[in-house]
Amino acid sequence: MWAYVIRRFLWTIPIVLGVVLITFVLFSYVVKDPARQYAGKFATPEVLQAIRHKMALDKPRWINLGALRHGEIAQTFDSQFFDILLFRFPESMRWEEPLWTLIQRKAPASMMIQIPAFVIVLGLQLALALFVAFKRGKWQDYSITFLAVLGMSVPALSIYIAAQWLFGQKLGVFPVAGWERGIYAIHFAALPILLSVIMGMGGGTRFYRTVILEEVGADYVRTARAKGVGQREIMFTHVLRNVMIPVVTSTVTALPGLVLGALLLERIFQIPGLGNLMADAIANNDRAIVMSMTYILSIVYCVLLLVTDICYALVDPRVSLK
Amino acid sequence: MTAIRAESDANLTVAAELAPLTEKPRTLWRDARARITRSKLAMICLGIMACYVVVALIGFSGLLNHAIEATVGPGSAPPSTASVSLWAGTDFLGRSVLWRLLYGARVALTVAFLASIVSIVIGTVLGLISGYFGGCIDAAIVWLFSTVSSIPWILLILALAFVLKGQEFALPGIGKFTLTGVPTIVLALGLTSWVGLCRYIRGEVLKLRERDYIAAARAIGLRDRSILFRHILPNVFHLIIIDFSLGLGAFVQSEVVLSFLGLGVTDQPSWGRMIDDAKLELLKGVWWQMAAATIAIFVFTLAVNILGDAFRDALDPRLRGVD
Repeated sequence: MWAYVIRRFLWTIPIVLGVVLITFVLFSYVVKDPARQYAGKFATPEVLQAIRHKMALDKPRWINLGALRHGEIAQTFDSQFFDILLFRFPESMRWEEPLWTLIQRKAPASMMIQIPAFVIVLGLQLALALFVAFKRGKWQDYSITFLAVLGMSVPALSIYIAAQWLFGQKLGVFPVAGWERGIYAIHFAALPILLSVIMGMGGGTRFYRTVILEEVGADYVRTARAKGVGQREIMFTHVLRNVMIPVVTSTVTALPGLVLGALLLERIFQIPGLGNLMADAIANNDRAIVMSMTYILSIVYCVLLLVTDICYALVDPRVSLK
Repeated sequence: MTAIRAESDANLTVAAELAPLTEKPRTLWRDARARITRSKLAMICLGIMACYVVVALIGFSGLLNHAIEATVGPGSAPPSTASVSLWAGTDFLGRSVLWRLLYGARVALTVAFLASIVSIVIGTVLGLISGYFGGCIDAAIVWLFSTVSSIPWILLILALAFVLKGQEFALPGIGKFTLTGVPTIVLALGLTSWVGLCRYIRGEVLKLRERDYIAAARAIGLRDRSILFRHILPNVFHLIIIDFSLGLGAFVQSEVVLSFLGLGVTDQPSWGRMIDDAKLELLKGVWWQMAAATIAIFVFTLAVNILGDAFRDALDPRLRGVD
């Protein structure tokens, strides 16, 4: 098993390097002149130069060969590429602040919405899927599966906007938009959490139902039934434990969806979180933020994938044998 | 020798006369077609899809070019039955929502189909090559798709749309192009969504290349290219169809998100733009533009999702019997 863990860990290194490479190439080569993109067509050369300095574009791109020739090793890695690789991100043009302070300030609001929503969605999805699989072929099964397909087909954006109008403006149950620090945030977070729970239900419920039904057909379930184990116990102890692996996989691979939820919800409800920061940066051509956020979140995602894979190996010996 | 052949030929003829084939052999494709035409729901969805395609083609024919810009009534007029143009009300400039909605099908379907083609071509070619050749090439392609799938997809789409927006490209002999609207979205979506298909095809090819018929093809001296495209590709083609039909809805929905974030289509009416425009108007009680675009997307995605499931069930026997 340890061989597997080490192999999996080593495999993460080229992946992380690939992620930096893709992000860096996208933002440095595909955009011919990022300073021009930010400043617009009519900027003077002096202005462009100043912007370039601020965006750290006047540094060498990959490696500082001049410094290497003089034997200054520390200076050699003072380049655009290594700045990204080593998390020394350029300052945001719009906020004129280092990215880390921005993230520290903006992350709590995002967390307050995404974490509760994620936990609630996961629990409800599993409960519903078990219930539906339990009632397979009955009207409850058909109606919930049907609702799940309906929910997956509605554009989430429309639902968010319509709910803001209906509950915020028309009925006045929740505030239309805004945010407050501390405990009162719940007041503003309630509707976004509710919405992301409702919109997040569909896909997962349907997928888990399929997974559970596949498992229900397995031999060990028949054995358990033959021994006289009750239906409830089969579902909750035997089946549920065995579906945990596909469930956890799909949970982790669903995490990028949170980013999308954050982008849309925080934009619509004017919540000062990371999603809003990102959306603002896109609207304002703030290259530093778009690039660094893409990189940071990808690294976080890589680490999560690594952790889940290692957890599998710890829990299920079949995984490390593959 | 000749006698023997003649005799065996005669035997064959007799056999054919004795037992005429009452039905054609059941191939995967014929079976799938029978399954789909038997399902009423799938046929209805197919009909809905056909309607969307027709509407999109009308958009392409230029018949709507005048209607989408013309003022047909007062700004933000609610839906009325006074004239066809007013069936879905007007937007804040007094333009007909209905015509703009119909025109939007053009953008939506163009984005969905072209992005699918880009992603299918990349996914298929890389998947075939990586599964068939193995070795260093396989390792490189596996690294590539693992890396791409380690970047949260929405961020990768946004990053691509962000960097491609407004870029100028010079194609030798054709001229300079500035990437705007539809091509940007198509590239951003197409270049990010090939990973799933690539992974599936690679897995399937890994199994197929060990089969006897491939060994036989190699033994008679066929080149790799013709083995890959004439003998392996047809056997993974059902995966492509499934991926295509399940991806369409997601692409249409992505267009909405990109428009909302300011990275979408700006030079012609699209459903995403309509929803984006409508978000402030809704607070004034103008609901029809939003409702119209939402329903258009909803019906399209629903039809495509149901159809995609039907295709998957019909073409992938392993998944049968679960739902």
